[in-house]
Amino acid sequence: MEELRKSFHEELDEIQAGIVRMAALVSESIPRATEALLESDLKLAQELITADDDLDYLSVHLEERCHQVLALQSPMAGDLRALSTALRLNAELERSGDLAVNIAKATRRIYGTRYDATLRGLLVRMSEEACRLMRLAIDAYVDGNAGLAAALDDIDDQLDALNRDCVQAVFQAHNDGSIDLQAAVQLCLISRYYERIGDHAVNIGERVVYMVTGWLPEYTGSARVQVREQGNRDETDETDEE
Amino acid sequence: MIVTLVVLVAVAGLILVGAVAWREHRHLVVAESNRRRDDELHRRQEVEVVESETRLRLSLDAITQGVVIADAAGTVLYRNPFALPYTEARHGEALVEAAVAELLAEAAQGKAVEREVELFGPPRQTLFVGALPLRLDGRDYGSVVLIDDITEPQRLDAMRRDFVANISHELRTPMGALSLLAETLAGETDPEVATRLAARVQSEAIRLSDIMDDLLELSRIESNEASERAPVSVQHVISDALSRVSPMAEEKQVPIETVLPALELVVNADRRQLTTAVYNLLDNAVKHSEADRLIRVTTRLEGDCVEVEVSDQGYGIPLRHQERIFERFYQVDRSRESAGGGVGLGLAIVRHVANNHGGEVRVESTEGEGSSFTLALLVGVQP
Repeated sequence: MEELRKSFHEELDEIQAGIVRMAALVSESIPRATEALLESDLKLAQELITADDDLDYLSVHLEERCHQVLALQSPMAGDLRALSTALRLNAELERSGDLAVNIAKATRRIYGTRYDATLRGLLVRMSEEACRLMRLAIDAYVDGNAGLAAALDDIDDQLDALNRDCVQAVFQAHNDGSIDLQAAVQLCLISRYYERIGDHAVNIGERVVYMVTGWLPEYTGSARVQVREQGNRDETDETDEE
Repeated sequence: MIVTLVVLVAVAGLILVGAVAWREHRHLVVAESNRRRDDELHRRQEVEVVESETRLRLSLDAITQGVVIADAAGTVLYRNPFALPYTEARHGEALVEAAVAELLAEAAQGKAVEREVELFGPPRQTLFVGALPLRLDGRDYGSVVLIDDITEPQRLDAMRRDFVANISHELRTPMGALSLLAETLAGETDPEVATRLAARVQSEAIRLSDIMDDLLELSRIESNEASERAPVSVQHVISDALSRVSPMAEEKQVPIETVLPALELVVNADRRQLTTAVYNLLDNAVKHSEADRLIRVTTRLEGDCVEVEVSDQGYGIPLRHQERIFERFYQVDRSRESAGGGVGLGLAIVRHVANNHGGEVRVESTEGEGSSFTLALLVGVQP
């Protein structure tokens, strides 16, 4: 029994290490995508697109491993939450990696477009902010820091604001005639990709809160629905009685 | 007779038994002493082994590269302090640990493998990871992995490589123009066109001589570390530099605002060098600003340092160029710079002036928002 539990916890540690490694690939791919974008570096963009296969590979194997542990060890309480959190984080990270790839692909589409320094500056700041959020989310996960995890939602406001500024700057540049419509649409999408990476980091934070405390922010909303439905049922019961 | 015989036999028997017993005893004593000697030898060998292992371990601990040693089964037996943090690393550095595990697996197959892991960070770094199988006389002793931070050597390499390329480019452009102009001039009969071409020749020659002047200035500052030092008023230096830059600023319609402290600040410096440094910062700020974008020169006392900050609202400097702009001839964007007319030596000069005076120069910049350069020098005595 002792031996079994030990190997089970080793397994959990390895799953956590796998998540950390996936997150490392994601947080590395964000500045890479930005560099490819700003330097119009098609080679780097292609490298990023190819490297996404590694992330997918890790993701698939990690998911299988989680399922295996779930099936064979029937974990309970904190261990079960740790595993279901790993499963969710796996999906969030895989999607974040895809968003970085989207930026790399958009780089190819707008190759040759020159845009002004304001826009470049905003893109750099969005990239830094998205990367910072992702790193904080993983710090919260590894340290089991529910406070930091819960704060991510507020920290993300900064990135949302940058996204609005960026879209505004793209409109401005398009109105000035310095970029064409196609580039403008791509740049808006790129801005949105960074913003979505931040959202995934916030999701990771919520799941970490759940892992540590067993509570999800969605519970409040779902509790309201339950109360409402309970109320509806009571009313129908009453009308039935009449 | 018989009695004598019996006695003799008995004595002989006794002697024989005694001899045997004695030999047995001797044998035991020798065996015992041998055993003791062996034990002693063994203990000493053990001590030596422990000592030599400790010595080796301490030597490996002292190495400033990462060392990871694994046995033939691939289980990690030892990591030195440089390699240890990677096991618990998060973010980009977790990829180093992944590379170590992958290379160990390959080295276990008997292959020597190496890889460069480039991390975008922040901070940006490049790490070399190499794995070697440990084999002797056909026996497998496991494998060793080395981790080395090659960020700085790579940066210096790039700097050396780019320096030669940049200086050739800077000299070649006016040279090429001169040669072409001279060729055209030789076959030109129209005096009006000839005059115009001659003017162009002259302007290219001036450009070349400007580059030479800058280079000479730089080498003078570089070699002349112990230059004339005297108490210099920072306010005077700034007003000198301002008067040199103001014609260009007025022409480009870039306003310059100065914020000076009430107290006169004095540094122990070479006045000429210091003026050149402040002028270069101002010159850059004006060149990279559009009309009506304010440039602010702030002088303040920060601890025991006098700081001169020149901030503009210009194009800004992309992050990846920020650490390299102080290199000789380094330019962020040639097409943009050539419009400004610099050759990329200004900031190299500023940095050398700062170094010569035991100070430093820093840059903060966001693309699209502007840049801010701070020259910090130790405060000197009042004149």
